[in-house]
Amino acid sequence: MLKATLRGLLAHRLRLGLTGFAILLAVAFVSGTYIFTDSLHQALNNLTNSQQPDVVVSAKTQFGTQFNDELAPPTLNSSVVTTVSKVPGVADAVGWIQIRNVTMLGPDGKPLGSNQGPGSSGQGQSWISNPALAVNTLDSGQAPSNSSQVAIDTTAAKNGDFKIGQQVSIVLPSGQTVRPTITALVNRGLSGGGGGGASSLAVWDPATAAQLLLKPNEFTQIRVQAQPGVSQQTLADAIKKVVPPGTQVQTGQEITDNTAANLSSRLDFLNTFLLVFALISLFVAAFLIYNTFSMLVAQRTRELALLRAIGATRRQVTRTVLIEALVVALIATTVGILAGMGVALGLRGLFNLFGAPLPGNGLVVIPRTFLFSYLIGVVVTLVSAWIPARRAATVPPVAALRDDVSIPTRSLRIRTLFGALLIGGAIGLAYNGLRSTGDATNAATLIGISALCALIGVLALAPILARGILMVLALPFAWTSVGRLARENGRRNPRRTAATAGALMIGLTLMSLLSVVAASTTKSTDAVVNDVIGADFIVTGQNFRPMPHAVFDAVKNTPGTSVTTYSRATPALVPGGGDEGQLVTGVDPTQINQVINLDFIQGSLSDLTDGSVVLDTKTAEANGIGVGTRVLLLSQKGVVELKVVGLYAPAGFFTGYVTNLAQIEQMGALPLDLAVYIKAAPGADVSAVRTTLDNELKPFPTAQIQDQTQFKQQIHDQISRLLVFILALLVLAVIIAVLGIVNTLALSVFERTREIGLLRAIGTTRKQVRRMVFVEALLMAVFGAAVGMILGVTYGILLQRSLIPEGITELGINVGQLVLFLVLAAVGGIIAAVWPAWRASRMDVLKAISTD
Amino acid sequence: MTENPPLPEPITTTAPAARTHGLTKIYGEGDTRVTALDSVDIELGAGKFTAIMGPSGSGKSTLMHCTAGLDKATSGEVFIGDVDLSKLNDKGLTKLRRESVGFVFQSFNLVPTLNARENITLPMDIAGRKVDTEWFDTVVDTIGLRDRLTHKPAELSGGQQQRVACARALASRPAIVFADEPTGNLDSRSSAEVLGFLRRSVDEFGQTIVMVTHDPSAAAYADRVVFLADGHVVDELLDPTADSVLDRMKRFELQTAAAAQQTNSEPPSAQAGA
Ligand SMILES: Nc1ncnc2c1ncn2[C@@H]1O[C@H](COP(=O)(O)OP(=O)(O)OP(=O)(O)O)[C@@H](O)[C@H]1O
Ligand SMILES: [Mg+2]
Repeated sequence: MLKATLRGLLAHRLRLGLTGFAILLAVAFVSGTYIFTDSLHQALNNLTNSQQPDVVVSAKTQFGTQFNDELAPPTLNSSVVTTVSKVPGVADAVGWIQIRNVTMLGPDGKPLGSNQGPGSSGQGQSWISNPALAVNTLDSGQAPSNSSQVAIDTTAAKNGDFKIGQQVSIVLPSGQTVRPTITALVNRGLSGGGGGGASSLAVWDPATAAQLLLKPNEFTQIRVQAQPGVSQQTLADAIKKVVPPGTQVQTGQEITDNTAANLSSRLDFLNTFLLVFALISLFVAAFLIYNTFSMLVAQRTRELALLRAIGATRRQVTRTVLIEALVVALIATTVGILAGMGVALGLRGLFNLFGAPLPGNGLVVIPRTFLFSYLIGVVVTLVSAWIPARRAATVPPVAALRDDVSIPTRSLRIRTLFGALLIGGAIGLAYNGLRSTGDATNAATLIGISALCALIGVLALAPILARGILMVLALPFAWTSVGRLARENGRRNPRRTAATAGALMIGLTLMSLLSVVAASTTKSTDAVVNDVIGADFIVTGQNFRPMPHAVFDAVKNTPGTSVTTYSRATPALVPGGGDEGQLVTGVDPTQINQVINLDFIQGSLSDLTDGSVVLDTKTAEANGIGVGTRVLLLSQKGVVELKVVGLYAPAGFFTGYVTNLAQIEQMGALPLDLAVYIKAAPGADVSAVRTTLDNELKPFPTAQIQDQTQFKQQIHDQISRLLVFILALLVLAVIIAVLGIVNTLALSVFERTREIGLLRAIGTTRKQVRRMVFVEALLMAVFGAAVGMILGVTYGILLQRSLIPEGITELGINVGQLVLFLVLAAVGGIIAAVWPAWRASRMDVLKAISTD
Repeated sequence: MTENPPLPEPITTTAPAARTHGLTKIYGEGDTRVTALDSVDIELGAGKFTAIMGPSGSGKSTLMHCTAGLDKATSGEVFIGDVDLSKLNDKGLTKLRRESVGFVFQSFNLVPTLNARENITLPMDIAGRKVDTEWFDTVVDTIGLRDRLTHKPAELSGGQQQRVACARALASRPAIVFADEPTGNLDSRSSAEVLGFLRRSVDEFGQTIVMVTHDPSAAAYADRVVFLADGHVVDELLDPTADSVLDRMKRFELQTAAAAQQTNSEPPSAQAGA
C-alpha cells in the first residue's frame, strides 16, 4: 500500500509540486515573520544590553503625549549631579543630555532623512568620556571638546556624505542653526529609545550640549557607575534617599528589563500584524491544497477503485491520499523555512523602503520557528487534504470496471444553504452595525464580523455564482466555439472553479476594501481641510514637530497677508484624555477663527478668555461635560481649573481641549509652535505672497510651508504609503492564488487529455487550444477578482458608514485603482495560463486519443 | 476560412480518396524496435466503404493514424486526394484534418460539455465555417436523433453517442471518414444502427469510409475488406459477407498458428520445467 502511495507521489510530482509550492510560500511567510521579528528582537536586545550603566537617574515625566520631549522636557540640574556623586559607593556620576528635534541638514540644505515618515527626527546628545557610562562609541576621529566641534553618527555621515573635518549645519530646537566641524563619527547605539529610529545624531561636549540644547548646567539624565563590589540595587536605594522628589532612579538591570519588556510587546504587536497577513496567505494556500487533492482524487478514480477492488479498505485509500499530503507538506515546509529567511530579508527591505530602517543584519532562527512552521505547514495541508481523502474512500470498487465514472458529486444544496445563511447573518450584522450610531468601534467590529461571514458565505455560494457569472463574463468570447468551450470548461466543475477563483477572491476583497477605506479617509481629510482650514498657507515643523517661535516672527509681517497666527500645545492630564494625558491647544481666539472654521454647537471661540476652554462635543458627551462645567486639568505647572465656554463638532484631526495663548503659557507651554496659519489679504497676489514667505523661511530649513493643496497632498501621501505597504503584504496571498490557477489549469488540461486530443484530431489548431486555456484562465481570474471586488467595495462602504463618528465622513472610491486591481488580476490569470496552455497545445494528438 | 471543403467525388470515379505507397512505420529503437507497418501499398477507393481487419497488433490503428494525418510515417508516401501528407507540417495537417477528414473513435468521441448538436457542428465551428443546414438536417435525420440534439453526451446511450460521433464525422462533408473500431464498445443492436448509418452515408451521399474492426459481421457492411498481419497487407475481399470474412479469418488463424509452431518448435514440456 505504501508502495502504491509512493508511486502515486512520483506519478503526480508535477502537480503535487505546484501544491507544495503554495504550501512553501505560505510557510515561508509565517516563518519569515518569526525570523524577522526574532532577528529584530535580538538586534535590539544586543543594543540595550550592551550600554546600560549601573544606575540611571532621570526627571520623571508625567505625560506620554506626542512631542513630549520637546513640549515638556524633563530636566535635572547640576546640583543633583553633585548630590548623587557624593553618595557612598558611586565611582562616577555624569550628567547626560539627550534631546530630539535636532535636525542635521544634508549637503542640499534639506533635513537629512526627511522622508522617514512622521515622528522621526534627529537627536542631540552630550559626549560621555567614561566608557562605562558612554552611550556611543567612537567609530573614528576625536571626541568633540569645544563648541565648534561635533561628532555625528556614521549612518548620518554616510547619508549626508560627510567626512571628518567638514562642517555640518545643525538646526537646534530653538530654531538656531549652528555649523560645527565634524571631529568624530560615532556608533549610533540605541538612540531614541525605540531603536535606530532617529534620522541623525549630533554629539557635543557636555558644556556645549547643555548650552545649545537646554540651559547651562541642565541635564536630562544622570548616569552612575558603582564602585566595585557595590550592587546596583544598593546603590540605587542609596541614591533614592538623596534626590529631590519627582526624580526617577532605576538600576541598569531595571532599564534593561523594562526596555526588553517594552520591546517584546511592541515586537509582539508587529509580529501579530505580520502574522495576520501570513495567515491570509495560508488560508489561500489551503484552498489550493484542497483543490489539488480533490482533482488528483477525481483523476485517479479508476486507480483508487482498482485498489478497492483488489481488497484495500476505505481507510487504506484515505490513508494513501493523506500520506501523499504529508510527504508533500514535510518537503514543502522544510524548503519554506529556508525561503522564510528570504522573506525576513524582504520584510526588512520593505520597512526600509517605507521609511523605517531597522537595526541588525543577522537572521535568527530559533526552534520555535521550526516548530510553528512544521505544525502550520503539516496541519494546514492535512486538514485541507482531509475532505478529498475521505471522498477518495467513497469510490466504489466497480468504478474500476466501468469506462467513464466519476466520484458521485454531492449536491450543492447544503453548501448553498450554508452560504445563504451566512449571507443572511452578514446582512443582519451589518444592519445592526450601521444602526448602532455613536459607538464607532462597536459598529466597525460588527461590520468586520459581517464581512467575514459574507466572505465565507460568498465562498460557499461561489459554485452557484460561477455558473451564472461565467455565462455573463464569457459573452465577449461566446461568438467563437473556442470561447464557448472555455466557458463550459469553467462551468462544468463549478466547485473547482469556485475554489480556484475563491483564492483570488479573498485577496481582492481585502485589497478593494483597503482601497475604499484609504480613499474615504483621504476624501474625508480633504473635506476637513476644505471646510475647516481657511488659511491660505500653513507652516509646520518638519514632520509636524513643534518649531521655534522665531518662525512666526519671521513671517508675521509679510506684506499681502491679512492674518498670521499660531497654535501651541502643552501636555496635560484632562478628563477623557487617558493616563498619559493629551495635548491641550492654545490659540489666539480673535485671530484663529479667521483661519480655522470650527463648527460651534454652543458658544464660540471668541468666548475664550484666560481661565476658560472649549472642547469637542464627543469628548464632552463622553465625560458629561457641558457649557459652564468647570474641568480640572493637571498641567506641567500643576492643577488648573478651567470653565467650559463652548462646544464644537469634532472635525478630523481638530479635536480636544482648546484654550487661549496666555492660559497655555501658564500651563507651561514652551515658545514652540505647532503651526502658523497665514491668510492672504483680499485681492493680494497669492503666488507673490508665497514667494515672499518662501524667502522669509529660508533661514528655517526645518519649517515647511504648504498651501491647502500641498497640505492635502502630504496627507494623501501618508495614507497611500500605508496603503501600498499593506498591499505589499497582501501580494504574497495573491501570488499563491495565481499559482492556484496554474495548478487548476494544469490539472484540468491533464484531465482533458482525450478531449483536447479529440479537438485536435477534428482540426483544432494549437493556437485555438491555447486560446481556449487562456480564456478559461481569464474567466476564472476575472470571476474571482470581480466578486471579491464587489464584496470588498461593499464592505468598504459599510465600514466608512460606521466610521462617520470617527471622522471618516466622506465615501471615496478610487475607481482607477479598482480597475487596476481587476486588470492585474486578469493579467495574473493570463500569466497563470501560459504554461498549462503551452502544455495543452503541445499535446501529442495520438497519445491523447489513445490515453486510457 | 471561406473556402469550401472538397465535396466527395461521385461514386463513378475510380481515383482513390486516399492511397499509400511503401508506407512504413517503425516505433522505438534497438531492442524495443517494432515495425508496425512494413511497406504498405493500399488504395482506398472514393465513395467506397473499406474495412480493415487483422489480428491485434497487426498495425490497423497505425495504418489509420498515418493515413489520416494523425501520425507521421517513418518512410513512404501517403496521399489524401492529391495532397502528399509528408509535405505538411502540423499546421497543414491540422488544416487537412479540419477540411478533408472525419473521425470516429472507439470511445470518447464527444466533448462532454457540449450537447449533441454542438458536438456535430463542432468541426465547422472550430474552422469558423458556416453550417450547411440542409446537409445538417439530412445527416441528423439519417442518424435519427433529432429529438436528442439538446442532450449532453452523458445523457445519451453508448450507441447514440457513437451515432452522434458519426454524424459529426460526416457533417463537415470530409473527403474521407476514418473509424477505428466504432462499434467496439457496442452491443449488436447498437452496432447495427451505427453500421447501417455508415453504409447509408456511402450509398446515399457517396461518402468514403475506412473502418477498422474485429467483428466479421461489421466488416460485412463494407464494400471491401483489407486484411493486415504483421504490418503487411496479406489479403483482401470484395463484397464481403459475415461468413466469407469469418472463413478468411479462420484461414489466417490456422496459418499464423502454423507459423508460430514452426518458429517455436521446442516441446511444451521443456517450458513447463522452466
Ligand atoms: N506508440 C507506440 N510505440 C511503440 N509501439 C507501438 C506504438 N503504437 C503501436 N505500437 C506497436 O505497433 C504495432 C501495431 O499496433 P497497432 O495499434 O497499429 O495495432 P492494431 O492492429 O490496431 O491492434 P488492436 O487490434 O489491438 O488495436 C503493435 O505491435 C504495437 O505494439
Ligand atoms: Mg487498434
